[in-house]
Amino acid sequence: MTGATPQYFEDLVVGRVHQTPGLTLTRGHVIQFLGFAGDWPDTAEDDRRVPDLLPLCISSGLGFRLSPPLAVLAFMGFEWQFLRPLYVGDTIRSRSSMVTKRSLREGGVIVEARDILDQSGEVTQSGRLTLLVAKRPAERP
Amino acid sequence: MLRPMANDDRRYFDEIEVGEAYESPGRTVTEADIVMFAGLSGDYNVLHTDAEFMKSSIFGERIAHGLLGLSIQSGLLTRGMRPYATIAFLGLRWKFKGPIKIGDTIRARAKVTGKKETSKSDRGIVTLSRQVLNQRGEVVQEGETDVMVARQP
Repeated sequence: MTGATPQYFEDLVVGRVHQTPGLTLTRGHVIQFLGFAGDWPDTAEDDRRVPDLLPLCISSGLGFRLSPPLAVLAFMGFEWQFLRPLYVGDTIRSRSSMVTKRSLREGGVIVEARDILDQSGEVTQSGRLTLLVAKRPAERP
Repeated sequence: MLRPMANDDRRYFDEIEVGEAYESPGRTVTEADIVMFAGLSGDYNVLHTDAEFMKSSIFGERIAHGLLGLSIQSGLLTRGMRPYATIAFLGLRWKFKGPIKIGDTIRARAKVTGKKETSKSDRGIVTLSRQVLNQRGEVVQEGETDVMVARQP
């Protein structure tokens, strides 16, 4: 791994809460997402409505802006609930904490609880993600 | 304009039957898809963006973001089925089972595995079991999605 040292499995503390910087959802985000996913909604009565999967995707990027970022080796799975709709102009941030960690020979598995909050602090989406995280590499001679 | 045209083809809760199956066309995942997704999501993890670093990984090359595959299958499946009269996407349970690499062609398969009445009589919950397959027929992602669908008015 080059550049800034990431957070390794050993650095993670169960229960510690991280909150990311915010990001304002724009029409640009929506159009880009719909274009590449090809997932044009058949229900949008309101064209300011943000596609449900987009904030989830952005929450991963927001987590990546935490310093230092997590040394993720693989995203194994997740369960997720969409609680409230989001609209163009809303500002989201992601709040997460580690629920469990389990050490394996190669890395370790962590379960992260994640909420996506809007500008008024309401939880709009929420779930649990299972990630494989790297262990700290042995010092090179 | 993001607003879609009025769609008279939408299916209500009552018309949907457990056991119905859908299959999407294929789509080849390109390097451009990954670069675009990194830009849009802000997820620049080396897994998806550093070709040199990934040469020495177990994958041997960059892989697509898991959520990129999830987003693409969502769009793909809409091309393989008549739309539901969806009120809301409630949630999902999902597993990433294998990598999607640049040049892989993926398609989505789904089956209605559950229908549930709710306390409101004008709607119900439909559960779809979904799989994402690559060109070798390997399941690279799978899971279940729950959507709230309107009943015939």
